[in-house]
Amino acid sequence: MDTSKPAIFVNGALLPMHVRKRVRTVIQVVGADRGAVVGKSPDDLQLVVKGSPPSAPLTNFVEVIGIADSEKSIQAEIWTNFGDAFDTYNYNQLCQLANGEYQHLFL
Amino acid sequence: MPVNLTPNAIATINGGDVNLKPLVQVLDIKQMGSAQERFRLLVSDSVLTQHAMLGTQLNDRVKTGLVKKGSVIQLIDYICSQVQKRKIIVVLNLETIIPDCEIIGNPKMVSDALTQKALPNTNSMQSSTVGYNNLSSQSHGSNMHGISSALSTQNHGGNMQSFRPTSSNQNQGSKMQSFQPALGAQNYGDDVQSFRPTVQPPYQPPPSYRNHGAVMKNEAPARIIPISALNPYQGRWAIKARITAKGDLRRYNNARGDGKVFSFDLLDSDGGEIRVTCFNAVVDRFYDVVEVGKVYLISKGSLKPAQKNFNHLKNDWEIFLEATSTVDLCPEEDGSIPQQQFSFKPISEIEIAENNSIFDVIGVVISVNPSVPILRKNGMETQRRILNLKDRSGWTVELTLWGDFCNKEGQKLQEMVDSGFFPILAVKAGKVSDFNGKSLGTISSTQLFINPDIPEAHAAKDWFDRGGRDVASMSISKDIVQGGPKNEVRKTVSQVKLEGLGRSDKPDWATVRASISFIKTDTFCYTACPLMIGDRQCNKKVTRSGNSRWQCDRCNQEFDDCDYRYLLQVQIQDHTGLTWATAFQESGEEILGYPAKELYFLKYESNDDTRFADIIRSRLFYQYLFKLKIKEEMYGDERRVKITIFKADKVSYSSESRYMLDLISKVRTY
Ligand SMILES: [Zn+2]
Repeated sequence: MDTSKPAIFVNGALLPMHVRKRVRTVIQVVGADRGAVVGKSPDDLQLVVKGSPPSAPLTNFVEVIGIADSEKSIQAEIWTNFGDAFDTYNYNQLCQLANGEYQHLFL
Repeated sequence: MPVNLTPNAIATINGGDVNLKPLVQVLDIKQMGSAQERFRLLVSDSVLTQHAMLGTQLNDRVKTGLVKKGSVIQLIDYICSQVQKRKIIVVLNLETIIPDCEIIGNPKMVSDALTQKALPNTNSMQSSTVGYNNLSSQSHGSNMHGISSALSTQNHGGNMQSFRPTSSNQNQGSKMQSFQPALGAQNYGDDVQSFRPTVQPPYQPPPSYRNHGAVMKNEAPARIIPISALNPYQGRWAIKARITAKGDLRRYNNARGDGKVFSFDLLDSDGGEIRVTCFNAVVDRFYDVVEVGKVYLISKGSLKPAQKNFNHLKNDWEIFLEATSTVDLCPEEDGSIPQQQFSFKPISEIEIAENNSIFDVIGVVISVNPSVPILRKNGMETQRRILNLKDRSGWTVELTLWGDFCNKEGQKLQEMVDSGFFPILAVKAGKVSDFNGKSLGTISSTQLFINPDIPEAHAAKDWFDRGGRDVASMSISKDIVQGGPKNEVRKTVSQVKLEGLGRSDKPDWATVRASISFIKTDTFCYTACPLMIGDRQCNKKVTRSGNSRWQCDRCNQEFDDCDYRYLLQVQIQDHTGLTWATAFQESGEEILGYPAKELYFLKYESNDDTRFADIIRSRLFYQYLFKLKIKEEMYGDERRVKITIFKADKVSYSSESRYMLDLISKVRTY
């Protein structure tokens, strides 16, 4: 794991707290809009992910790491296909743990 | 320490005595009965022996070792019954006088002792001081020694001999048989009090009894005995019990014609329960008399083996009432008899319960589904309604109501839940089914109690109100929880060892998340007998017979093809340590991913060691949720904890994450 550039786990609701910071989340791809990917956050909010997706087709779920450039969008640097089945409930819980009482345990 | 058994006690009891309260010695104890545990003793009066059944309320005496082989006991409440021309003593109450003693005298075993011949003549019963004049001289020989030693130690005061009425021996001259408790207590001295039974038999025979002996029919009212002491070998009995359930009147039509039948269930103050069944004319006599919740004196009727398919009470017997039976209402309420008897088990225990076993549970109804019509296998339509019950173990279970339960209790429960109440429901005699994981269902003898006024109900309500409501529900029925962790006691490998699991009577069960770190391959399966014995496969190890055939020693048969079953020794490892465990057929296949036969042929027929090794290696270091059965067993003199892999499920990362998140949230609350 790359610890030199930590990225905060976020869901849609936590993203506004980290604007201009490096974040990571998993979206469920919904579609594309003017060169950006539109997806659903683990807590069912709509997010826009900008940047250049990998050449391989995106799977249903994609992890993105990048800079939160607004309260509802991320400028992604790293895209990772997470496959077509993913437990968003667990991921959402993880995001809350990473921003709550156990924040100190996360990078 | 010398002690004297009551001379001629066996013969006297066989003669119908119920007052002698003799000292006898236990020579042997045998456990009888399957559904209901019973103990049969072989008791000796130092000359003769006789079988004695213990009332089940005395089972604990045997289990706790108060009564064991060698014990000298005093029979306090007992009767002699005739079973198939053999006499048997039914013991309702006893005291242990000496827990452990060498065999006294030279008792003859039942088979060679002609007990009936040794009946005392009735005159000997007349007076306690006369004693048994007709005692055959043979019994004196071995007895005398004991008696004289007792005499020689009579000055020792507080020791055990002093309970013998030795002080009166002088008065009796050469007649040593001073055993009658009828001798005034003052003759016994102070220390006698310590052993005198405090419990008096509730029924005293009329004075005429002694003069006529047992041959005379006893017309006194039958004594009230505990339900647990009922057996088919008693002539006269009475029980005092509360009616806890009353079945519907059913009409039937069979080869012998039309008939009607109804049953009701009884509970007495000792917690004994039994079902009573009436047919035809007897139905007319008692159907209207019998009222649920009231207490009755019931006498006469025959005992027959309980119909375990329909009757789940803890009793091997069922009472069939007859024309001469009496069922008399006790006008006064008897608070010593509970309204209902439950043996509640936590829902968490249902998961490891066997299919079709019967459970009492109590919990909070958290949801009720609507009633739906269901077509039964026999083409009849019935109603089904599913509700969810949550108890203090934190688990929920589906309870399926069938038939009338849907509209009666089910409707009421639905209305309560719909209007925001969470009623407490006590289920008596629900049946475990492995439909949908594990669930409970009603059967004809099930009883449902909504918000019963019992401590367990208040405890359940209290738990629910103080946070139980918010505890994440995990269901042992698959429907609700999506792949979530099933009921389990999670342990780590080191906890299994450090907590000494498996050392109690019952095996311990634990779920361990671990990897397989090593698989023993020199013997990993065995050749098994494929023949069916009843509905089960024999599975015994078979050996080659000749060149091509297999032979089973148990079935004593030969066949061409045998079965291959896993007997797999593996090491399982987690972050705390590692341990050996054994996997049998199903779990072996879960671990290796191939049928045992395929791997057997690969290794022993094709001799493809490379491929075999590849397969084994490919199974290492996968994480599994192992359901382990842990039990300490004796191997020769050595006690060893044996761990069996009952189930090996590949870890589902999603549900395992949920499980861990739930753990974290629990840590946070404290
Ligand atoms: Zn066999």
